[in-house]
Amino acid sequence: MVNPATGPDKIRSETNPVQKVRRGPRTGNKSLIYLVLIIGAVLSLIPFFWMVSTSLMTLGETINRKWLPAVPQITNYIQAWNEAKFAKYFWNSVIITGVTLVGLLTTSILAGYAFGRINFKGRNAIFAILLSTMMIPETITWLPNLMLVRGTIIPLPGGSWLNSLQALSVPFMANAFSIFLLKQFFAQIPNELWDAAQIDGANHFRFLTQICLPISKAPIMTVLLFGFIGSWNAFAWPLLVTTRETWRPLMVGLWTFVSEAGPETHLLMAGAVITLIPILVIYFLTQKQFTQGIATTGLKG
Amino acid sequence: MGATTGVTLKPPKKKIHSLRALQENLTGYAFVAPAVIIILVFGLFPIIYSVYMSLFNWRIRKGDFTGLVNYIKIFGDWGGFAIFIGGLGLLGLAYWLWTRAFKSNSNLMRILQIGAAVVLIVAGIIMSMGWGKMIAAGDEDFLNSLIVTIFYAVGTVPLQLAIGIMFAYLLYQKIRGKEVFRMIYFLPYVTPVVTTAVVFRTIFSSRATSLANILLSWFNAGPLKWLFEPKAMSEVFLGLKLDGIAAGPSLALGTIILFGIWSFFGYNTVIFLAGLGGIPKELYEAAEIDGANSWSAFKNVTIPLLSPVSFYLFLVSFIGTFKAFNHLYVMATPNAQNTVVTASVQIFDVFYAQNNFGYAASQSIVLFLIILGLTIAQNKILGERVFYG
Repeated sequence: MVNPATGPDKIRSETNPVQKVRRGPRTGNKSLIYLVLIIGAVLSLIPFFWMVSTSLMTLGETINRKWLPAVPQITNYIQAWNEAKFAKYFWNSVIITGVTLVGLLTTSILAGYAFGRINFKGRNAIFAILLSTMMIPETITWLPNLMLVRGTIIPLPGGSWLNSLQALSVPFMANAFSIFLLKQFFAQIPNELWDAAQIDGANHFRFLTQICLPISKAPIMTVLLFGFIGSWNAFAWPLLVTTRETWRPLMVGLWTFVSEAGPETHLLMAGAVITLIPILVIYFLTQKQFTQGIATTGLKG
Repeated sequence: MGATTGVTLKPPKKKIHSLRALQENLTGYAFVAPAVIIILVFGLFPIIYSVYMSLFNWRIRKGDFTGLVNYIKIFGDWGGFAIFIGGLGLLGLAYWLWTRAFKSNSNLMRILQIGAAVVLIVAGIIMSMGWGKMIAAGDEDFLNSLIVTIFYAVGTVPLQLAIGIMFAYLLYQKIRGKEVFRMIYFLPYVTPVVTTAVVFRTIFSSRATSLANILLSWFNAGPLKWLFEPKAMSEVFLGLKLDGIAAGPSLALGTIILFGIWSFFGYNTVIFLAGLGGIPKELYEAAEIDGANSWSAFKNVTIPLLSPVSFYLFLVSFIGTFKAFNHLYVMATPNAQNTVVTASVQIFDVFYAQNNFGYAASQSIVLFLIILGLTIAQNKILGERVFYG
């Protein structure tokens, strides 16, 4: 117990005179700090280690529970890629994500520009309505959207959109967050630029494409990054609208494989690794922007 | 798009202004139209349509108009529901008294604080009474899924915040490899939850050779069924035989909570790190001069100054757990029965597996109202606090 009259400073100067000489702000016991940090890192990484290690084992090794495969079985990946159809799911995901991103970028650049730079009637009201959609939980949208996509609410061109690229991409082609992000950026562009462009006879569309876009690489990258994560990681909605393999994306493919794989854990884990690769590549390439972007917005699919 | 402004018109001078305005308006609408249409159709329209569907006996096809029958099915009778809402109101009153207490002088403060505590207890009793009535007469599956959701929220959020703040503080020290550690902690958060949840399913499977059970065997402990165990943790670990809510979360849910903490603590670490960067170094130097060691500096400088960030993270994460679906769905094994079924999973099940559309719609409206209430409370509470995040 610390005697309140003497206070902690007295105690410390008596018991640990060395600390008095120490410079700079607080340092605890360095090796203890490293120990805790390393334990945290190990716990964070164990599941990944387990996944990769298992994905390289033979079936026998997964059952007898080795830590590492005797000989890494690269063939597992070939098998998962071809026989378990992860190749198909992978390319489906790539196409779905690509199409979604093109749409998302188009709609949010146009809308972000309009909300930030064009004075039209009802601008603030429309923007407020869009922002309010950010708090709507996905749960409530599934059922009505599913019926919409099946064509039961209003007839759709081409009948039902189940198992179609449209159903998987169109609902994700606009979101309030991306518009908000770009609006903030476009609104900051000095008005003098717009005045000068007008004198040169430019309209809004030309000003947007020739002046604004070239200087907006950073916010556009952020929109792309979030769009990519959201689309690549999407699960519940694709699960609802893909009853066949035609357009089944990776996450749904992995999930259906859980029930199909049964005891074939090594193939399941190989499939799991395949789903991670694109995300990891992008994470390591754009580390700083990635971390900061997510940290400041708290968004993730 | 160019067509709206491409044509050069030469109107009389006074008309230029209104024509300009019209042109601006039209361009604006044309630019926002694609985004607005998509968001209205897929984001806003579902709420209106869900309200509509919830008033019908709607299996796969629309049946009879039934009014509020679906909602009555959820809550049982309105009596229990009204009692519960009354308790909730008292909870708000307790919070109000508590905040008032800090604005008054010391004498009144004590009285108000005691008052708040009393009201809190009364609110708790009334709410549990109302809940009991609702469970007895209403939809046990859905009401139970709300409890599971709360168990999950209460289990993950405080722990992931505590772990996050600890690692942020350690990373904030002068150490090597800061970037590497941060990157590693953030990794579970970055990777798709469906993938990591699938990996956790194999790590925490009931097989004796699963990774979790191997680790247990190192401590001479017998294998557990983990994600496949519907029994409450209080029973598995302590041998207590309790019923209902009192028994607490099942081991399967505990494992999912573990996943939640593993997956999200890195996010909290990164946010706390940003918050730590905002604390003036002088404060630590002052604390040092006053003789604080690193623990008391942490306790008396770091924690209080981070409290706005913590508070923000707490509320956002808490609401997030009510919205969460993907990992909860993937890790909900049939063996664990309804002990792992959260509200979002339950709703999904009701329309996806049971094809009971109208009823699922009414459940999703209830969940939406809960999240709306939490969001409003969050904005109100956050609005009253100083926030520098």
